[in-house]
Amino acid sequence: MARSLQLSLTVNGEAVELSCAGYKTLLEVLREDLGLTGTKHGCELGECGACAVLIDGTPQLSCLVLAAECEGRAVETVEGLSRGAELHPLQAAFADLGAAQCGYCTPGILMTAKALLDNERMPDRERIKEAVSGNLCRCTGYQQIFEAIEEAARRLEHESHR
Amino acid sequence: MPFELAEPRSLREAIASLDAKDPSVRPISGGTALMLMMKAGVLRPSRLVSLGKLGLAGIRTGPGGELRVGAMTSLRTIEKSEIVRKGWPVIARTLRTLANVRVRNVATVGGHLAHADPHMDLPPVLSALGARVTIAGAAGERSIPVEELGTGYLETSIRLDELITLLEVPPLGGRSAAYLKCTTRSADDWPAVGVAVSLDFQGDSIREASVVIGAATDKPTRLAAVERILVGRKLDENLLDEAATQELSVEGDLHGSAAYKKQLIRVYLRRAIHEARAQSR
Repeated sequence: MARSLQLSLTVNGEAVELSCAGYKTLLEVLREDLGLTGTKHGCELGECGACAVLIDGTPQLSCLVLAAECEGRAVETVEGLSRGAELHPLQAAFADLGAAQCGYCTPGILMTAKALLDNERMPDRERIKEAVSGNLCRCTGYQQIFEAIEEAARRLEHESHR
Repeated sequence: MPFELAEPRSLREAIASLDAKDPSVRPISGGTALMLMMKAGVLRPSRLVSLGKLGLAGIRTGPGGELRVGAMTSLRTIEKSEIVRKGWPVIARTLRTLANVRVRNVATVGGHLAHADPHMDLPPVLSALGARVTIAGAAGERSIPVEELGTGYLETSIRLDELITLLEVPPLGGRSAAYLKCTTRSADDWPAVGVAVSLDFQGDSIREASVVIGAATDKPTRLAAVERILVGRKLDENLLDEAATQELSVEGDLHGSAAYKKQLIRVYLRRAIHEARAQSR
């Protein structure tokens, strides 16, 4: 008998209460129980970064986190990134600069980059490389991703001066 | 696979939630290694005892200048710690390529040491530095060298109803330490070989040497023959080559064959000694 788990957490700023199987990973709960399929299944081994989400503001791999351990915590996924109909500056910069090709790694990289830009206003290229290191992308060769994160930092900086 | 999740609020409660006889009752800290074992079907827990609410995280220096790290401190926190970067730079450098940032954000040093995968980076480094861990159980606490933690592949001397609570690393003093690893795929991959050295140079000769390798044997292994050759005389690299793999039962795995790893040990041992020597100048 699968024990059912009662879980209260915050997802993208909204309080969520749900009941799910106790053995599920956060990734499975996000995709299967909450219908938030933006976060991707990748390697399932903690190596590729496709499933990265923010838990209490820190990038973590949702495939390696038990949902049960997220009680009372704040989870952010790519679905919470845009501001209504308007893309987040990171999303806009990724689109403008060709930082997403097949797009599979993009949600994980966007969330990792968001955590970086939430903490540092204008990180240099080295800091950006360190932050997204291990977020594997097989299409872009990473240059466009670094450039898009730099561009997003500039746009956020510009916004903050408006 | 159903299991119960216990979330104790105190160390005493946590130890009481463990079971001395039932290996399906396991503590979970960061959970990164445990989740992989559960996904692989290697571990089917009946109860997981979460250590997240025990207040075991934190980094400080002790009265003897030693580094004291709470077992639940994340690897990323250790990597970013100014105390660690200044006093034990080899640890901070080692952490930079240990898995990836998102794993380091979650994985804890206690879990890292308790997991005892021989490919892990910190056990050889901490063993070479003479670090110790405090292990708590129902009968009280005991302190053992990190070197005595591993007893075999994924096996440790920690009993089922015990927990690592604290890591202590003595001050480097005059020693210079280096850790080099060879990863055959990406930089943050599991190593084919890791070589940790801690050397006390006196001019061109070495007063004290500590050399421990990881990833090539079923647990981190001290190269005592190499240490004997290094101490008290001028470095002879030819002697070193022979001693490097002597009395060593090297095991091949998907990161490299035993013969390949033996060659890597010879090469990386020289490089690690050179790096430590460069730092000492």
